Amino acid sequence: MADYYSSFEPKGTRWLLQRLTAAFLVVVLAYHFMLLHFVNHAAEVTIAGTTARMSQVGYFITMVSFLAAGAFHGVNGVYNALVNQGLEGTPKTAVKWLLAVAGVMLVVQGIRVAIAMTNLI
Amino acid sequence: MSTQVTEQETETEPQEKEESTHQERRLTEKHDRADMRERAEANLKDAEETVKLKVFRYDPEVEGKKDPRFDTFRVPFKKGMTVLDALIFARDHFDSSLTFRHSCRQAICGSDALFVNGRQRLGCKTQMSELEWPVRIEPLPHAEVVKDLVVDMEHFYDQMESVEPYFQTDELPSGEEQKQTRENREKVKMSTRCIWCSACMSSCNIAAGDNEYLGPAAINKAYRFAMDKREGEAMKEHRLNIIEQEHGVWRCQTQFSCTEVCPKDIPLTEHIQELKREAVKSNLKFW
Amino acid sequence: MSQSYDRGLIEDFGRWQEFSAGMWAWIFHKFTGWVLIGYLFTHIAVLSTATVDGATYTTTLQGLESLLVVRILEVGLLAVAVFHILNGVRLLFVDLGVGLESQDKAFYAALIVSAAITVASIPTFLVGAF
Repeated sequence: MADYYSSFEPKGTRWLLQRLTAAFLVVVLAYHFMLLHFVNHAAEVTIAGTTARMSQVGYFITMVSFLAAGAFHGVNGVYNALVNQGLEGTPKTAVKWLLAVAGVMLVVQGIRVAIAMTNLI
Repeated sequence: MSTQVTEQETETEPQEKEESTHQERRLTEKHDRADMRERAEANLKDAEETVKLKVFRYDPEVEGKKDPRFDTFRVPFKKGMTVLDALIFARDHFDSSLTFRHSCRQAICGSDALFVNGRQRLGCKTQMSELEWPVRIEPLPHAEVVKDLVVDMEHFYDQMESVEPYFQTDELPSGEEQKQTRENREKVKMSTRCIWCSACMSSCNIAAGDNEYLGPAAINKAYRFAMDKREGEAMKEHRLNIIEQEHGVWRCQTQFSCTEVCPKDIPLTEHIQELKREAVKSNLKFW
Repeated sequence: MSQSYDRGLIEDFGRWQEFSAGMWAWIFHKFTGWVLIGYLFTHIAVLSTATVDGATYTTTLQGLESLLVVRILEVGLLAVAVFHILNGVRLLFVDLGVGLESQDKAFYAALIVSAAITVASIPTFLVGAF
């Protein structure tokens, strides 16, 4: 059997998740841009408009998923770029944990913001 | 070839005899070289076309060459001349210390992979006429240079060895031969063509950055056996386990440089991608 | 064994004119990726004003949007995001093993379409900026 196991998942899982989140993000990021720059205009954003959007259940859930997918895809991407460049040993483990924590904090903060923006909760 | 003294007249003075033999040989060689150079100059004057070669030189053991430099050689051009032909001419006529690997001169031994005009190519397979002149010849990038155009291949061989590049199986068919279907042979056909030249590994930016990355050649080798049905399912799983490691197939970023420079036209990236998909499929089947 | 000479990675970027499509794609995808993750953190930070109170949120965002440099950076963000998406789609096809023969053409297409979309969006993005 294989000698090396990553801390969280068996090898290949992060590769697959990167692709799955990618497919999801292609659609949702495009939608997000269209909604907030073309349908609405970024310069006209107000708390009222934001709250109205975020109080729709479907939109709220989409945005939270968007955040989670984007955070994973981005942080995993950065980790891989660094490993490709030759990051190894102790620095690699340190960076891995740093990135994981940063990613989790980003999602947690994002959810707090989302809750502040919605009337649902 | 140096002249050889075939007879020793007396055994009592072997020392003296050897000195004069050595002296004789040296002088004859010097004479031959002068001859060769004259002939080379004559060749050059006669030749309709000459081509300039700019060759990377480096020798840590020689004063003048501790810092790398480029030497220029002008060689006569003949129709059908390859980069290897040109290098051999330069070495034989102008500078016998010019060092490079070569053997079969027919693109099968994999010895003469070089960096020619900014691209990894086999010296024996590259026509001078298809290149822009002057021709710049350097050792393969992302490998340590030992001398002139010779690079250290140990790292490449280590990666190849680590994928167990030989046929192995526990499942032998009873009695009869180990048969392979035509389709299965077709599937692995391209991957069998690897000549271990390391052009691919040299072209890969990930292999350059990440020392532990197996590299396209090693993964292709794993593919050649993993996809060979004669080895059986258990062996395939064993092989997949090796290349599924963090520095195996997952490091490939589909840059495609390996596929572009492979002198045997092996679709390396395609093979690596297929192994990624195989690994994902087998991991999904957690039941 | 004599000491061998390691030419390192630096020489690579000196050869940029010899880069192939696949190599440019990898470089650009990495670069745009870094920009996007950097932006994501910044974006959540800015949006966090919503947890203070509604007025702070509105003032902050509209304040930022009134700065010309921010509006121009947004066009840059669009360019970066669009390229990352289009090249990302190309990579998904490569991962599925579809259309590998045209992978280099797909990169050029992604580049051109990204440029086209960015240029076409400039009017909308810069409305009211001047």
